[in-house]
Amino acid sequence: MDGKSEAPTGPVAGSVAGGKANSLAGYGKLIESQFRILRGCLAGLAAVALVTFIAFRLNLNLSTSGFLYFLIVVMVAVVWGFWEASVTSLIAVNCLNYFFVPPVLTWRVADPQNWVALATFEITALTVSRLSARAQSQARAEARQRAEVERLYELSRRILFLDRRLTIGPQIVSLIQEIFRTESVALFDAALARVDATGSGANDLEELARSAYFQDSPQQGADTHTRADVLRLGSRPVGAIAIRGSELGRLAIVPIASLAAIALERARSFDKESRAEAAHQTEQLRTAVLDALAHAFKTPLTAIRTASSGLLEAGRLSTDDTELAALIDEQAEHLNRLTTELLQMARIDAAEVRLHRERVPVLTLIEDVLARYCGQLRGRRVEVSDGASQLEVQGDRKILLAALEQFVDNASRYSTPGSPIAVTAEENLGEIVISIHNEGPPIRHADRERIFERFYRAEESRHRAPGTGLGLSIAKKAAEAHGGRTWVVSEADTGTTFYLALPRGSRRQVDAVARQNSDR
Amino acid sequence: MQSHGKILIVDDESSIRRALHNTLHGMGFSVDDASDGETALQFVREEKYDVVLLDINMPGIGGIRACREMRRSLPSLGILMLTVRDTEDDKVAALDAGADDYITKPFNIRELAARIRAAVRRSSASRADPDAVVRIGNVELDPARRLVRKAGEPVHLTPKEFDMLRYLMAHAGLPITHARLLHAVWGPEYGGELEYLRTFVRQLRKKLEDDPAEPAYLLTDSHIGYRFAEAGPVCGSGLVADQCE
Repeated sequence: MDGKSEAPTGPVAGSVAGGKANSLAGYGKLIESQFRILRGCLAGLAAVALVTFIAFRLNLNLSTSGFLYFLIVVMVAVVWGFWEASVTSLIAVNCLNYFFVPPVLTWRVADPQNWVALATFEITALTVSRLSARAQSQARAEARQRAEVERLYELSRRILFLDRRLTIGPQIVSLIQEIFRTESVALFDAALARVDATGSGANDLEELARSAYFQDSPQQGADTHTRADVLRLGSRPVGAIAIRGSELGRLAIVPIASLAAIALERARSFDKESRAEAAHQTEQLRTAVLDALAHAFKTPLTAIRTASSGLLEAGRLSTDDTELAALIDEQAEHLNRLTTELLQMARIDAAEVRLHRERVPVLTLIEDVLARYCGQLRGRRVEVSDGASQLEVQGDRKILLAALEQFVDNASRYSTPGSPIAVTAEENLGEIVISIHNEGPPIRHADRERIFERFYRAEESRHRAPGTGLGLSIAKKAAEAHGGRTWVVSEADTGTTFYLALPRGSRRQVDAVARQNSDR
Repeated sequence: MQSHGKILIVDDESSIRRALHNTLHGMGFSVDDASDGETALQFVREEKYDVVLLDINMPGIGGIRACREMRRSLPSLGILMLTVRDTEDDKVAALDAGADDYITKPFNIRELAARIRAAVRRSSASRADPDAVVRIGNVELDPARRLVRKAGEPVHLTPKEFDMLRYLMAHAGLPITHARLLHAVWGPEYGGELEYLRTFVRQLRKKLEDDPAEPAYLLTDSHIGYRFAEAGPVCGSGLVADQCE
């Protein structure tokens, strides 16, 4: 498949430089967070120093200065966090001891009650800073979740506006990359067996996506920021997605996978729809062309036949003239038959693209053909086997009729005049087999395959009956369009039997067989 | 020469008009022709024709619409549709638009003449007494007494079988579409119940035909409908031959 070759080259090419930048950024982030703690501690220290200086100069008592320190610790906890507040509280408790617990300006504590006060101060300060820091981090988590929901919403909205004319995979990965600011994304589309990736180090992501699909379970990558999940429609896996990105929440990949699955399916059904539409238009065009051709050929033929049969009917011609007019009439009719069959052949060629399938009772099919040919079959005994009344085939009624007509026509033309014709239908090994038997001279061994070829006519038949050499090839084509086959059995003593076998299976099976046949 | 009837030929192809005009004239019909549906409608308003030969595929309003218009104003006019496309859909559309019959181009003039005569007969029969006894071949139907005889012997029919036979015999020689037969016998709310028809036709054939497997009276027009043979056993005459294309 062409998956990789079509993967968007832009972002991948840029990823080498991008990778370095990313690791630098990671390092920077680490330094930044340490610097932040340091800054918090320094700010706490400065505040404690300021309060100590003022309280000492103003001779504030132990409890007042204790509350002032407490205020500083809480503020550091709210603004910076737990660790900064802890450091600040330790400095504060030491200052409290040194400057305000008697005897002042010593580390000693005379009154044991003051030990209790200092311990209480430290424990309370730590507890309060712990609580406020937790509230703080919860608020931050909520904000992150809200942002994630907003991004998911944006993703779902923009997935609706993907360009349907372009391949959908690359568009989905760049959209996720852009909205979630991930490092890299890889999407495996199982139906097309292609992977689309974007961002740095996407190679191992492609592997991760593939293995998520084939193991049919979410996968964890080498580091904690890398995850893969299966794309599902209902319970059916349709692909997998792998994402690397530190900003992404642990569970965000699940809704992203659902959205990607929906986007793939939408694209697929749109594709199917437009293909069906194109096939429909092709068929309409073909039908229009064939109709125009039929009109163009049949109009002059109608005028010729009207004139020739009119001359014969008027009965004012001499014997020689009658002979000539009859010749014109005959040949015009022959030309008409040829035209009809050529057009029929072209229609069946076209129908291979699009059969109008329905359930057709086999008996109805046989009765219709016999009714059409009742003129040609006059004076003959035609027997239809009882088995036919129970059977049904899935097929295009008109095309199946065309096939059987050719068999019946053949039987009436090439058999011993007045001899009986037997039609049977039965189910055999998953096939519906319809046969038409007639008495008469056998078909030569060498011709039995070839009579089904276009324009081939057996040596003897050329002299015996007028024909176009198209009829049996129409029957063969019609059978093959349905995933079926035709053959003939011919013996001198038993006569000739033509067979049409059609698969009985479900429509899907039938189509599969028809495709195989056309591939051959 | 005495005229067998007055015919209007409607076809946009002048070669076909010329050939038909001369041939039919030579066979003793008096003939007019028109090159499109609009002109044809004007002609039938001004003149009285027995039969109109109407091409389906014409520029302008086309054959089917022209046929519907003519049928609306002239219920007893014989209308025969000419078509190049040998598809049942076209034929059913023509018959449902009110045509008496259709014929596929190219045709033998003898077949055409037979159908023209059948249409002329129908248009005169439609003015006759509806209760008159109808006799075709050795089948006799007496609408007033609801009696059917075959070769002189009474045949017992159920009421629906009788209604169906009566309708088909009243239009002998002309194809009756499935939908039209269902409307006429079962009522206007019917139209798609082809199995009813198959069952009743099978029963009727058992009672009327010498050999139900090779019907001589109750003929099938594949996927279009049924027709009652025009004058006794005719299977294989020009009437059916064109369906063997």
